Amino acid sequence: MADTKTTQASGAASGAAPSTSAAASGAAGDRPVKIVGIVCNWCSYAGADTAGTGRFKQPPNLRLVRVPCTGRIDPLFALKAFEKGADGVLISGCHPGDCHYSEGNYYARRKFELLERMIHYLGIPKERFKWTWVSASEGQRWQQVVTDFVSGVEKLGPREGRAL
Amino acid sequence: MSRQDHIREFAAKALADGRVDYFIGWKKGHNASEVIPAFVKDPADVEQLIWNPLCHHNLVTFIKRNMPDPVDAKIGLCVKGCDSRTLVSLLQEELVDKEKLYVVGVPCDGVVDRRKLEKEFADELVDVAFPEKGKVVVTTRKGETKEFAQAEVLLDACSHCRYPNAVYADDVAGPLETEPDREGTKPDWSDIADYENLSDDEKQATLEKVYSTCVRCFACIHVCPVCVCWDKCVNRSRQPELVAQKVGAKENLLFQMIHMFHVAGRCTSCGACDRACPVEIPLHLLHRKMNKEIYDMFGFEPGTKLDEKPVFQLFDLNDQFGD
Repeated sequence: MADTKTTQASGAASGAAPSTSAAASGAAGDRPVKIVGIVCNWCSYAGADTAGTGRFKQPPNLRLVRVPCTGRIDPLFALKAFEKGADGVLISGCHPGDCHYSEGNYYARRKFELLERMIHYLGIPKERFKWTWVSASEGQRWQQVVTDFVSGVEKLGPREGRAL
Repeated sequence: MSRQDHIREFAAKALADGRVDYFIGWKKGHNASEVIPAFVKDPADVEQLIWNPLCHHNLVTFIKRNMPDPVDAKIGLCVKGCDSRTLVSLLQEELVDKEKLYVVGVPCDGVVDRRKLEKEFADELVDVAFPEKGKVVVTTRKGETKEFAQAEVLLDACSHCRYPNAVYADDVAGPLETEPDREGTKPDWSDIADYENLSDDEKQATLEKVYSTCVRCFACIHVCPVCVCWDKCVNRSRQPELVAQKVGAKENLLFQMIHMFHVAGRCTSCGACDRACPVEIPLHLLHRKMNKEIYDMFGFEPGTKLDEKPVFQLFDLNDQFGD
């Protein structure tokens, strides 16, 4: 396994890198995109619930992971999701000032900003990672965020990550 | 009096006075191009301490997280400008006890990259001499002698050095080096510009190529002066298994990204990890970029002021991140 990896790597480095669209329509095929959503329990998870209760139509590609607070979200979570083959990662929590634990999201937004910049630096397109704030009552906004994000990822298609 | 003499004098005095239990400096290595860390316990042994442009080791690594041996030891150590920043990073978070340290700042005009020297010759190096400031004379086993300008064979990290003198030290070995104009100039990030300008696919291809060579020896973690929880490292946790045991480009890059994020705000890009890597992975691509973005976001240079806290331990209600 390790050998094949190395051969692929050197082969790819010497040849021209494939374009995004070619990579997307390649081996990954036409499977629906898989998106990991990491949301805080108090706002965005409840917001998603509100969207569901309100019967707002939203794409089914999103799998939610519920965490106590955005301050709990380690940048590792998003990177791990990409490593395991997620096509996109969406992080959402309470608006600044509304944190259930007062200040979790103030710390979190500093981390996410760095995480976002580093993720793009690793060659993962901007459309595949998003972090935002959605409150418990914003069912409509949740629908909007998810729909926009999923359509952005769908444009790129399933991801064939080479490194992460 | 040379800097080396100053170091020996400070070490001998501190040991004789009982101010420190042992003193960490540099001594001659097993081959000519190498210098290794020295632990001196007896004032009579200070003669083995040396200072020359090959002294690249960041000795702060040996005191990280209050884990010297024995635990309550009082330690003296030498720091260059870049090393002192990592020490300040540790002090900012109270990860080491200032009272137990005796710090000798060594003003530094650039460290020679021994790998660059070794790659110049097919032969073994038997002598690396520094006859005068800015000159390196290398002799090989077959008697070939070649002279380099020190500036040609410096570490890449030294080319954009902003802190040639120790930021924090109890004593300074000799006159200070000229400080660059830090107020008027911004840090130079040109070393990562080539990679930054690649397309997404090229970046992924480059990273795959680079990280498929990683053997996960964890030298970068062991040698990192600010990677402080190495005895219960998430990278080696089996339960839960956060990073797979499998050694592939993806797993290796994930492991390295974890390292980077865990030292974000403490990492000063001292380059110890780059120098320790046995397969010469350009780790500066990641930590330099991280520090560039931290500087861009907060105007923060890690480990430069004792009374600052690392930016990720604080928050500001007026931060303008996110929508």
